[in-house]
Amino acid sequence: MWSVVQWGALIPDEINLGTMYRLNTYPLIHTGFFHALLNALALTPLLERFEAEHGTLTSIALFVGPLSTFPAGIYLLIEKVILHSNTSVVGSSIWVFLLLGSEAIRTYKSNPHFSLGPYKIPTWTSPLFACVVLSILVSNVSFLGHLCAILIGYLFGLGYLKFLVPPEKILRWIEGKLNLLGRLPHYISVDQKTFGRYGVLPSSNNAANGNNGTPMNFLGTNQRLDDNSRRTYISENALLPGQVHAYFTGSEQNIFRGYKQELQTLLNEGRKAEDQEAEVEVTPAASNKVHSILQAAGLKVATQKYEYTSAGITHQGENIYGIIHAPRGDATEAIVLVAAWKTADDELNLKGVTLALTLARYFKRWSLWSKDIIFLFTPDSKTGTQAWIDAYHDLHPESVQPLPLKSGALQGAVVIEYPFEHHFQKLHIVYDGVNGQLPNLDLFNTAVAIAGGQMGIGANLQEMWEHNDSYEARLQTMMRGMTKQGLGYATGAHSSFMPYHIDAITLQPKGEGWEDEMALGRTIESMCRSLNNLLEHLHQSFFFYLLMHSNRFVSIGTYLPSAMLIAGNFTIMAIALWMRTGYYPESKPDTPAGEKSKSEKTSKTGAQKIEKAVKVNETALPERLMALPLTLVTGLHLLGLVPLWTFNNIFHQYFTTATYIFVVVDIVLPLFLAALLSNGLGVSKPIIPQQYHLIKSFALLLLGLSLSTLATLNFSLSFMIGLLCAPLSFIGRLQGPAALRYGVSSLGLVLLNLLSPPIVLLGVCWYTGVSVETVLTQAAFGWDVWGMWTQVVVWCVWWPAWLIGCVQLGSSIF
Amino acid sequence: MTTFGLLSLLLTLAVTLWSSTASASSDYHEQLFLQPLPQSSLLASFNFRSNTSQQAFDNQHFRYFPRALGQILQHVHTKELHLRFTTGRWDAESWGPRPWGGSKEGGTGVELWAWIDAPDDDEAFGKWIALTQSLSGLFCASLNFVDSTRTTRPVVSFEPTGDHQDVDGLHLLHGTLPGEVVCTENLTPFLKLLPCKGKAGISTLFDGHKLFDAAWQSMSVDMRPICTSDGDCVVQIEQTIDMVLDVERSKRPRSNPIPRPLSNELLACDTSKPYNSEDNCFPLEKGADAAWSISEVFGRTLTGVCPLTGSDGTQEHSVCLRVPHEKQVFITEGSTEIKKEDGFTRCFDPAPAQPFDLSIPEQTVDIPVPREEPILYAERTIVGHGQERGGMRIIFGNPSNTTAVDFILFESLPWFLRPYIHTLQATITGRDGIPTEIAASDLVTSTFYRPAIDRERGTQLEIALSVPAASTVTLTYDFEKAILRYTEYPPDANRGFNVAPAVIRILNVENSAPVYIRSTSLLLPLPTPDFSMPYNVIILTSTVIALAFGTVFNILVRRVVSVDEAAALGAQSLKGRLLGKLVAIRDRFRSKETKVE
Repeated sequence: MWSVVQWGALIPDEINLGTMYRLNTYPLIHTGFFHALLNALALTPLLERFEAEHGTLTSIALFVGPLSTFPAGIYLLIEKVILHSNTSVVGSSIWVFLLLGSEAIRTYKSNPHFSLGPYKIPTWTSPLFACVVLSILVSNVSFLGHLCAILIGYLFGLGYLKFLVPPEKILRWIEGKLNLLGRLPHYISVDQKTFGRYGVLPSSNNAANGNNGTPMNFLGTNQRLDDNSRRTYISENALLPGQVHAYFTGSEQNIFRGYKQELQTLLNEGRKAEDQEAEVEVTPAASNKVHSILQAAGLKVATQKYEYTSAGITHQGENIYGIIHAPRGDATEAIVLVAAWKTADDELNLKGVTLALTLARYFKRWSLWSKDIIFLFTPDSKTGTQAWIDAYHDLHPESVQPLPLKSGALQGAVVIEYPFEHHFQKLHIVYDGVNGQLPNLDLFNTAVAIAGGQMGIGANLQEMWEHNDSYEARLQTMMRGMTKQGLGYATGAHSSFMPYHIDAITLQPKGEGWEDEMALGRTIESMCRSLNNLLEHLHQSFFFYLLMHSNRFVSIGTYLPSAMLIAGNFTIMAIALWMRTGYYPESKPDTPAGEKSKSEKTSKTGAQKIEKAVKVNETALPERLMALPLTLVTGLHLLGLVPLWTFNNIFHQYFTTATYIFVVVDIVLPLFLAALLSNGLGVSKPIIPQQYHLIKSFALLLLGLSLSTLATLNFSLSFMIGLLCAPLSFIGRLQGPAALRYGVSSLGLVLLNLLSPPIVLLGVCWYTGVSVETVLTQAAFGWDVWGMWTQVVVWCVWWPAWLIGCVQLGSSIF
Repeated sequence: MTTFGLLSLLLTLAVTLWSSTASASSDYHEQLFLQPLPQSSLLASFNFRSNTSQQAFDNQHFRYFPRALGQILQHVHTKELHLRFTTGRWDAESWGPRPWGGSKEGGTGVELWAWIDAPDDDEAFGKWIALTQSLSGLFCASLNFVDSTRTTRPVVSFEPTGDHQDVDGLHLLHGTLPGEVVCTENLTPFLKLLPCKGKAGISTLFDGHKLFDAAWQSMSVDMRPICTSDGDCVVQIEQTIDMVLDVERSKRPRSNPIPRPLSNELLACDTSKPYNSEDNCFPLEKGADAAWSISEVFGRTLTGVCPLTGSDGTQEHSVCLRVPHEKQVFITEGSTEIKKEDGFTRCFDPAPAQPFDLSIPEQTVDIPVPREEPILYAERTIVGHGQERGGMRIIFGNPSNTTAVDFILFESLPWFLRPYIHTLQATITGRDGIPTEIAASDLVTSTFYRPAIDRERGTQLEIALSVPAASTVTLTYDFEKAILRYTEYPPDANRGFNVAPAVIRILNVENSAPVYIRSTSLLLPLPTPDFSMPYNVIILTSTVIALAFGTVFNILVRRVVSVDEAAALGAQSLKGRLLGKLVAIRDRFRSKETKVE
């Protein structure tokens, strides 16, 4: 039977003068349908491009002729003369690789390297990679044939084979004679060819990085941060920040001054009788005035009393709020503007409150509001908004009054602060929420865009007053953000909104400049207009991000792996330990020795028997003694509830003492537990090393599990705890001579104690200069009022894991 | 005490209409009623009413009755129809009771209910769908979206207002579209139904800009048959537009509608303040109501009277105003003013074919129009937080010190809001402000509950309640939020889903005109997927497949056979022969000696 493959394939042994046709026929012949199909798929785009660049006639001439013959020639030369073998080749993949080779050369000319970490890889090697990968993935592939094709491709790409192109004169003649242009539908004539004008587009990172080398070759540059972060952008198109003119100027300032004078007078009158300490407290008279001003401006006004008790301190106050009903609106959506009498830094926010009042009167005149606007005046920044927002959702405790007046679903909140008399320079945007929750990035971006772009004020974040966009400044901004997020406390009146999925920020004027309260008012007016545009709840942009500058952020996809890797290390270690407890490595030398000494008393035959039994045991899998480790790990985690309760419920004056007591407990408790364990808790036999491994395995498993879950909720907290717990993976019960063991484990215990929760707390307090009592009072307040759960992570995740680590280390002493 | 009707005139009118025995077979009336409300608001209430004899209607002899609507109604056998377009909310605290006792307004958006003559429920529903589709086209509203999930069959909340011979054969169907935005596109077809079509009479005042800039506005179309005792029937169509205009805002010229800050000289400051100076101003809010005139507020004057009015000779004044008699009112020359005996109402008859204007200067009066208290305050909000559950809280306040209020609360909830009726709880708060929790059954006298079926119909809940005098009742119940299918989310899924306003029908009003209150509509946030997720999943899956495919394909396809086995394959067993055939077929496709490129 005559086979076309047999007839046309390039078989080295069959080549002679009469069968030279094979040098040109082999690319056209394929062994099967799929072979042909795949080759056609790969070839079509490449060849089409080639045709577009060189013209149809030239392409046909080249590919039927020299571009088939040349690779075949080289192949034959190598295969027959050098390798002395006889592998036949067939198929058009030779053209594919030839074209890839020539393309790669052209890419190389415009873009010589691509970087993989610190390595520069020349781009011309890419067809070689493709060739190798193909040879690995697909069987029966001629590696040598492809290499030859790539070689010819390189030569063609470099222009050494230009002489093969038939002269244009001849081509024109053929074209004219046959009227190809008229007959063939997609014919590309000699004059239409582009000579590669739409070849590889110049890549932008080539020229820019010219002197810099590869971008990732060294640490500590902005370049590296640029690669892992993105510029902020407004994702929700409806916001249109700064697209409207703000009219809050002119005589509104007179009214502002009038209101301010009025409130100032009332505050001073109220204070004369009282002592000077309560300088920032609002007086009832001023509070009533706010009520009457809002009412006079035509708002619906209501009040709400509340009271909270935490760590023996009672916080009480009265919220006043007024609602501007959206004209034509139907109370389905609302925006909140908050002005607390006391700012987050405990200063009197007189100008902020006055500004909110003036804005309320001014906003009432506008008919364009699609959402209700709620003006909320709280006595302070810590409790007031929390009480109000809880009651708004009917989730308030007994001590908080329900709200008599409500509106629709809250879409956003802006907190206004202006706690000084002079003009300001820049706006400081505070955005952190309770438990590390963040507002939608779009809200922050809107504030930055309006402050910077429309008002020309400029925005700061994370108390970075001077941000020169350098590597250090960016890193510092990010670290501050992470610290706040990790600690999870409320950074302002806006923080309480976040648990209810209401995006909120605080605008704080800072510095001395020439921006007055009206500029702040216009910023807020513009923000309200943007929020008013919203058709849907803010959802487009990021909720998980780390900001490093007001216009640059890291998204969760980039930063999350770091915390996950740290958390994963504990899990992997736990699994490794679990696997190890399945073998006998440690118990093997011990058991025979112990058994032997006993058995020697009986008889030799008995000893042999036991030896046999031990051998039988070795082949079987050992049983894991899990009762004690499980009980211990569970028990110690439950023990964490004791400090959790203590530090949230005792009176604030005892916090310092309690901390020091706890330091002592942390030193004694592990040693005590270790001693108990070495004696088998007095009830059972001394515990064996397998059980120590199991204890550690369970503890690390729980830690890894908790931290990886936590990383998705509060990345920074998980990251910080993960770092502090990192040593726990590597410590365990020590083996070896007693002296060394004692020395190393004592040193280890001391070092480990330095990483215990109370010592870390003391260390941080010492470093920042804040008293322990303040920190713990704040923490207890957060627990009671804000629903902050940082403590749970500390006492029920970190502390038990740390304790078990210490017990492990301590057990080597006993 | 039943302080029925703040706008007693309107209500009286409503009552007379209710029990009217229309003598004329064909007539047309129109009336504009103006009343200044507190906080510089102005209520403008337009009423257009015409009667056509039943015979003329049946024979399609339309004169005042709009043919477009009449033919639709005849086609779908609708005997009585009520259609409402409403935006904004009525501020009962400042403005008092609603015009027409709330019977001529609907919930936010579009509301439609009709009595359809049909032999059974299914046929009635078929006609109802035909009706909604036709009205959708007629009024340029999305009424065609009133499907089975938005249709309810109220049992006690609505009663036919017309006189029907065969009440048993009529089916009441009720549908709402709380999310529908009412705009000029609905006003234009509405005006076209009027005999004078906005060319003469009070309908000339309709200007889309002013009408839809109102703080609250409601358009209604009512059709009903009215019969005398001797069996003489007329078909009545009544169209009303009620709106509350903010006088300050409406007076702004269209060339400069932006409320820019006033210049310093124009600021009204409290000069008694010690700090009052050129740049310190404590603003003085106005005591008296602002001056206004029709041309300022509506942007145009009233053009004469519609020549078709009052063909039957009954005297009804086309413009009425409710201000104290001592207040000065200036009117255009040629029109007449009639003061009513109650001391607060006066009516005007504009001269035909002449522009009519009316202006009221700023003036403090000794006896203001008495402010009436609504019978009941109602507020409904969603409470709770989270993607899974929530709660509904409805507060009813009874301002009366003596009378308890009986009413029916009608809720039609979408199917994806699943209420737990067993969690229905009531708290009663007296004037002392101490809340007492009581069993809901103590207040609820009867309940009609039709549970929802997913994707088929919504929940229908009608509760008959009673609120004791001088107390506030808070009714709460919990609900669960259903998770919708991926394709069921609207394009603006994150906005939330509209829940139709509750309808409250107050029962113990001494006359027969029904009094209705509607709560505001609600926005229910449902668990919404991240819609970019599928995209991420596709990318991830493609990558995994791309990586895995090559290797897996190779492993699956390649067979490793030793030489002996290959020979053994050719054995004479059936399996061997089959395999041999397979190998032969395979070899045909793949040349053994040839390497594939």
